Amino acid sequence: MPLRPRPTGLDAVDRMLGGGFPQGRLSEIAGEAGRGCTSLALALLAHTTASGAWAAMLDPADAFDPLSADAAGVDLARVLWARPRGLEEALRCAEHVLTAHGFALLVLDLAPGTSQQAPRVPDAAWPRLRRSAAGTDTALVVLGQQRLAGSCADVAVELESTRTHFLPRPDWLAGRDTRLSLVRNRMGPADLHAHVGWRMPGALESPLHEATPQAFQHSARAQALGRPRPERAA
Amino acid sequence: MPASTPPRIACLLVPDLPLAAALRAHPELGGQPLAITSDRGPRAEILAVSPEAAQAGVRPQQGLAHARTLCAELCVQRASPALERAARNALLDAAFSTSPRAVLAPPGSGLLAAEAAAFVDARGVGRLFHSERGFAGALCERAAHLGLPAVVSIASARTVARIAARTLIAAGSSGATGTTRVLPPGSETDFLPPLPLDLLDPEDRLASDLARFGLHRVGDLLRIPERGLVTRFGHRILPLLALARGEDRSPPPPAPSKTLLEEALDLERPIQTLEPLLFVLRGALARLRARLALRRLAAAQLEIELGLSGGGRDARRVAASAPTLEPRIWLRLVSLSLESRPPPAAIERVRLAVEARPPRGDQLDFFRPAGAPPAALDRTLAELTALCGEGRVGAPALADDPRPDAHALAPFRPQPSRRDGSSPPRTRLAVRALRPPLPAQVLAPHGSPEAVRSALGGGCVLHCAGPWRTTGRWWSQDERFAFDHFDVQTEDGLVFRLRRNHVARRWEIDGVYD
Repeated sequence: MPLRPRPTGLDAVDRMLGGGFPQGRLSEIAGEAGRGCTSLALALLAHTTASGAWAAMLDPADAFDPLSADAAGVDLARVLWARPRGLEEALRCAEHVLTAHGFALLVLDLAPGTSQQAPRVPDAAWPRLRRSAAGTDTALVVLGQQRLAGSCADVAVELESTRTHFLPRPDWLAGRDTRLSLVRNRMGPADLHAHVGWRMPGALESPLHEATPQAFQHSARAQALGRPRPERAA
Repeated sequence: MPASTPPRIACLLVPDLPLAAALRAHPELGGQPLAITSDRGPRAEILAVSPEAAQAGVRPQQGLAHARTLCAELCVQRASPALERAARNALLDAAFSTSPRAVLAPPGSGLLAAEAAAFVDARGVGRLFHSERGFAGALCERAAHLGLPAVVSIASARTVARIAARTLIAAGSSGATGTTRVLPPGSETDFLPPLPLDLLDPEDRLASDLARFGLHRVGDLLRIPERGLVTRFGHRILPLLALARGEDRSPPPPAPSKTLLEEALDLERPIQTLEPLLFVLRGALARLRARLALRRLAAAQLEIELGLSGGGRDARRVAASAPTLEPRIWLRLVSLSLESRPPPAAIERVRLAVEARPPRGDQLDFFRPAGAPPAALDRTLAELTALCGEGRVGAPALADDPRPDAHALAPFRPQPSRRDGSSPPRTRLAVRALRPPLPAQVLAPHGSPEAVRSALGGGCVLHCAGPWRTTGRWWSQDERFAFDHFDVQTEDGLVFRLRRNHVARRWEIDGVYD
């Protein structure tokens, strides 16, 4: 069966991946907290659900934020959100979703939550997951603070944060830049890189380095309107 | 079915219900000498015996002590009204799986008290099952699939069909189960007269009066004018006469719109721990599943009623996120419920009930990718719910709640979307939520954080935006909240959402920009 990529909708990332994350394969997105793994996963979810397909999010850390997902353009009604209580349950849930043969994307979020303890995944789990994903139309994407699947991963992307943008007076978080490295790719060339600038919801669509005082004013107003009952502290 | 169609009624008959109910609940006892007794103890009376026990000389109405002298390997089960009720309802399920009209027959009396029967509307079934004999065979197979060995006969009246089924049993003893008989329309007048009157199940006193008058066959009764019979036996003879004439030709009523399936059993000994209880429940759930599958139904909610020692009762309800048939899923949900709220006393009785409904259908979209088939999706949702627990599987939704960390979960029922998939890509900086929030130590001598320490990391604050104050529910002591939110970047590179919780008087990190 020809491998069809599941695009993220981000041109630079899709070019780097050769079209997107492959369906029927195991892919990894690795990066420490704050490096942009969640933003990339939400972009992938948004593009998948916008095409009318279903996606599943397995979230043992209970870290999925529906408000962020909605701001990223995810069609929440097309996302199956399951919060297993442990790693073992999460892996079994993943196998059930893969055998359902109806989900175009399965995101298995194994990055730590409040406990800040990285899960210890048994080595035997990865070949099993890879075999479950093979032959399905589901792109299996695993999020983690570091690469977990090792040689079982068909695609591995590592993220590192390059710069954070705060607009001054008063300080305002405007966005963050991330560098993505394709460190493993069984389907094509590896060792490729891409840059993505993530912006806060409500910020202008213009590149961050072109932010002007007028842009900041607009951005601040838009962001303030997007927040629930904002109120400036006395 | 037009009203002018001549009536054809099938009778599905189980000759020995107490035995069949016991073997249905304990299939491991099949092939062994088994006796069903009225009570515990050596003086208990035997109500029914398996063919293996009968071969050893054990007979109904013997005492248990006597029976044990005849057969040392005799297995004994106490008669359970709950099991028999469930078996009778399972018989009706087998009937409804072949025809939309069926009803349980009134229970017999005397020697026929142990039988259970259901009448099934058999009009027009020849088109579905090729012939009435094929229909009768299918009915037998479905009853056997539910663990109920039965015989089937088809005639133009209920009584005639039931008597024809009884003649099958009488001819072949208990080895006759699985056999069928079809009486062609009009042949009832030749079929009934030679049969003994006992097959009409007259009441005891009337039966002895009839015998005293030398009336032993149905034909003897039919030869005497009705007026003469009433003069000699009174009006109590009229119902028997109607049966002998085969006058009850009304078709059975249609199936009720609401289908409630129950399985119940009385335990031999009280159960105090979870594992043996789950073992018992597994069997009951498997029997429920077989009944649901036979009727092509599913259930989304399971009611459990546990009869406790001392007369108490523990009722609970577990729900799967979608209708399912899998006993494994139900067992997992029941196990989670029992672990979270154990019953307060030992368990003596168990009753399971489900409201069955047809599996969900789905309308496919011409222009969108097809998702999982409804049945597969329902099974997956139920599996995930069993693994994750109730309220942890569904579609995320935005909550109508002013709390900054509020979120909601809706049932996962994706509908055709109006989105055309051509929206411009959004490179949004997402928040990775921390639930519950992570406590933090914050140095804020002038109100704004200047240094942060937490399990996540920390250090001196390089950039800080905020605060944004969110307050609400001030009228409720338990639900009120007041937060000052800051977007903070520390020297280790982390950017996170820090908040001052004014109600709890502490600093917390409730999300990381990731």
